[in-house]
Amino acid sequence: MLAYLGRRLILAVLTVWAVSVLSFVVIQLPPGDYISSYIAQMSASGSFVSAQEAEALRQQYGLDKPVYVQYLRWMRLVVQGKFGMALEWGRPVSEVIGDRLWLTMVVSVAAIILTWALALPIGIYSAVRQYSVGDYVATFIGFIGLAVPSFMLALVLMYAGFKLFNMNVGGLFSDELAQAPWSWAKAWDLIKHLPLPAVILGLAGTAQLIRIMRANLLDELRKPYVVSARARGLSERRVILKYPVRVALNPFASTVGYLLPYVVSGSIIVSLVLSLPTVGPLLLRALIAQDMFLAGTIVLLLGVMTVVGTFVSDLLLLWIDPRIRLEGRK
Amino acid sequence: MATKPQKWSRREFLRDAALTAGAVGAASALPGLAGVGGTARAQEAKIGAQLIGKLEGPELILDAAKWPKKFAEAPMLADLVKQGKLPPVEKRVPDEPMVVKPLHGIGRYGGTWRRGFTGPGDGENGNRIVSTDKILFWDYTGTKIMPCVAREWKQSDDGKSVTISLRKGQKWSDGTPFTANDFVFWHEEVYLNKDLQPTPHPDFMAGTKSGSLRKIDDATVIFEFQDPNFLFVDILAGSTAIGGGQATQSMDKRSMGAYMPAHYVKQFLPKFSSKDEVDRKAKAAGFDGWVSYIKSRWDWRLNPDLPVLTPWKTVSPINTPTWVLERNPFYMGVDTQGNQLPYIDRISMTLAENLEVLNLRAIAGQYDLQERHTGLAKLPVFLENRAKGGYDVRLDPALNGSDATLQTNQAYEADPEVARWLHTRDFRRALAMGIDRDQLNETFWVGVGTAGSVAPAETLPYSPGPEWRKKWSTLDVKQANALLDKAGLDKKDGEGYRLRTDGKGRLRLELQTSAGAFVPHTQIAEMIKEQWKKIGIQGDVKEMERSLFFTRIASNEHQIALWANDGSEVLYLFPRHALPLDPVEALLGTPIARWYASNGAQGKAPKDPQMVKALDLFRSAAGKKTQERYKVAQEIWKILVDEQYSIGTVGLSPATMGVRIVSNKLGNIPSRQTNAQHARTPCSSHPATFYYKA
Repeated sequence: MLAYLGRRLILAVLTVWAVSVLSFVVIQLPPGDYISSYIAQMSASGSFVSAQEAEALRQQYGLDKPVYVQYLRWMRLVVQGKFGMALEWGRPVSEVIGDRLWLTMVVSVAAIILTWALALPIGIYSAVRQYSVGDYVATFIGFIGLAVPSFMLALVLMYAGFKLFNMNVGGLFSDELAQAPWSWAKAWDLIKHLPLPAVILGLAGTAQLIRIMRANLLDELRKPYVVSARARGLSERRVILKYPVRVALNPFASTVGYLLPYVVSGSIIVSLVLSLPTVGPLLLRALIAQDMFLAGTIVLLLGVMTVVGTFVSDLLLLWIDPRIRLEGRK
Repeated sequence: MATKPQKWSRREFLRDAALTAGAVGAASALPGLAGVGGTARAQEAKIGAQLIGKLEGPELILDAAKWPKKFAEAPMLADLVKQGKLPPVEKRVPDEPMVVKPLHGIGRYGGTWRRGFTGPGDGENGNRIVSTDKILFWDYTGTKIMPCVAREWKQSDDGKSVTISLRKGQKWSDGTPFTANDFVFWHEEVYLNKDLQPTPHPDFMAGTKSGSLRKIDDATVIFEFQDPNFLFVDILAGSTAIGGGQATQSMDKRSMGAYMPAHYVKQFLPKFSSKDEVDRKAKAAGFDGWVSYIKSRWDWRLNPDLPVLTPWKTVSPINTPTWVLERNPFYMGVDTQGNQLPYIDRISMTLAENLEVLNLRAIAGQYDLQERHTGLAKLPVFLENRAKGGYDVRLDPALNGSDATLQTNQAYEADPEVARWLHTRDFRRALAMGIDRDQLNETFWVGVGTAGSVAPAETLPYSPGPEWRKKWSTLDVKQANALLDKAGLDKKDGEGYRLRTDGKGRLRLELQTSAGAFVPHTQIAEMIKEQWKKIGIQGDVKEMERSLFFTRIASNEHQIALWANDGSEVLYLFPRHALPLDPVEALLGTPIARWYASNGAQGKAPKDPQMVKALDLFRSAAGKKTQERYKVAQEIWKILVDEQYSIGTVGLSPATMGVRIVSNKLGNIPSRQTNAQHARTPCSSHPATFYYKA
């Protein structure tokens, strides 16, 4: 068991390293660099950057060096836990991400809780009462949820919210409170703003999970052990929840690995549309500006999250599914 | 000037309505916006013209005898004075203040001006509000030069020097006196420091020779050149590197602006301590070295501690979710009754992660005054929600000729056949006459633009005359086809497109566009492509991300690129959208710009004698006096229009920063303001005089 864990850990470190190299290279692939995007931005706002100034800036940021030198420079900072300077923001990367990280987590966790709170019961209900009216309704809504792109839904809900309910547009705080230090009023304000992004972010996932839960549970319900449990007089509730549901949960556990990076980056497009101050829009902006320190750090963070998440989901599976545990022992 | 009413007609409005809905839908991702187009647009057609008001604005009182003798201040500052934290107002405003006569009347103090911005790249959003730290400025019409930070200026008769007198008793926002030494400091320690400014800046040169500056006494500075530089007064007033003011020119990695708070900036320079010391400070703050650190310290948007001369100063920097500015207690401006400006206490700009959200917030009345990022295509929805949002809409047409200009690469050579045609005058004229500008105007400018060439507004002294707005720039399919046939492109394929003369199939022209421009260039290019079918020309529209767009131009790969020619209306202050002069942004051919900028040492000379003539004329202009200079500009415009290197479509429009959402609560708001780069819109309306009514 320990050897297994150790092997997984070493692999994880190697994977993260590979992710860092790949992300750095991929970010450098498009033509131009941060300075050329800076010049483009300057000219769009009617300002002037001379060719010599551009060259001096390249030197100042070390962009005139080969890619591997830039990578090593960045790695040296990463090892020290500094991550470098976000070029466009003029602030250390850790601060720029830090500002947004925990708000991102709040939004994403809310979305995940909502997803699970809705998907699990509905999925179970749909399976147990297959082909009932309720099942059809859930299936119908589920398919719509799957089919509608979430950014589209975001736009529609936002416009409707403004048109019909005169709601604030986008963001996580009211204007008056965005600047204010933390207080109960501000926390309450955040909670009031949460449902819309949480519903939008969660809906597609909910629909998907309902379908998965329903299909898995249907498979299980037809198995002989359920019949025999029922035949021995176990209560219906116990028959379903104790065994088949637990087995059907397997895919939930194995997707935890993807949930963690999702918690950090959210959905980029939806956050952008809803103007949420989260990490997603930051990544997009960093990629457009070719700010490789910021973009690289975010991608690296996502890589680490995926690796850690996969590790956690392995452990979860061990816990939920005794069969896997037994295999481990052999 | 510029008060001439817009030619206004609603041609074949219904014909375009269907197209419009589609185009707007593509340009904006907001649902509902596209849908309401049909009905709202029909009403807007009538009131669109009404939204363009009379050009008006506050005026400076220049006669010292009429200046107020007693001063008053905002309540928030009066409290600080009482607590002993600030000197009294008489000690804070200069002995020679900038006296502004507000547009409608004396305002009330207080309030927070709510706006939207799009992130750290959107510095101009704030710069343009606080630009009264420029050395000289324009009046509200954008045509007459006015004092600003400088109380007075005098150009020598030979044009080799300009002397400026500062306002006696003026102070930085921390109370330290502002003197000629701050100019000398910038010149000697910053501008001449190779680490900070690697090369002399063209705005501070006459011809190829650098200018210099010198202190005469504490309140007098002289700028000197070896050759006549009559243009320099305009440069001091323009949005240039030397005259643009501290806020705009020493932000975002720049080191210009002609003066800097010496007492504050010194601590970050190696000369005044040691390189180790300043590097250590920089590293402690997370920067690589002192150069990047000092540039962030003298950036008014990033550093709340930086002493400034602007009406408001940053309290919460631009790299946070809310960029907040607060009044500068030492601002030099007062109204005619001696009330220190600005009236409004605070400006709070909230970050919008994308433009659709920003526009929707404007529609919802969450901004008090917003002219930036508000899209012309959304005008119908803005109008529909006016009453509900408690705002009004004002349109400020700009003065530049064309918001979507087809810039043909005059140095192109990758495809010799295409290059040959792009470099043929009759071919370019035919392309220009194959465009139905009225259809474009109705579709993308909701009919409020003006169709025409690249020439600027006729009201400007640079304009070659009204006929040059129309020349080669009206739809004439017959003549266009005749020109193309005559030029040798008379063979067509089965679909009616003209064939290349080298036998390699259809002649295809690449139209390169950039994503995310103020005007939807890609959709415009698509429509031009459709229109060109009638003259048998196949266009291929290629949209790309903005930095790739410029990278391709810099490496001489583009055939035709679409870009606005904003700024070209004041040709000498911002020529790069009209002529290939600056290798950084040379839409008419980067090799030509290299050749021009290096005096022929690098790059490639243009083959076209008319292009050479235009560039020669431009180079000769700085040494000429104002009236002669206007004549030269007119000559240049005539060449540019006649040659059609740049094909104009629709301009003189409010598409860029000209859709103004104004809260009904605000006072002293002009019904129309000059919309131009050199006027620093909205700064020429002196936002310091805006106020909240009751």
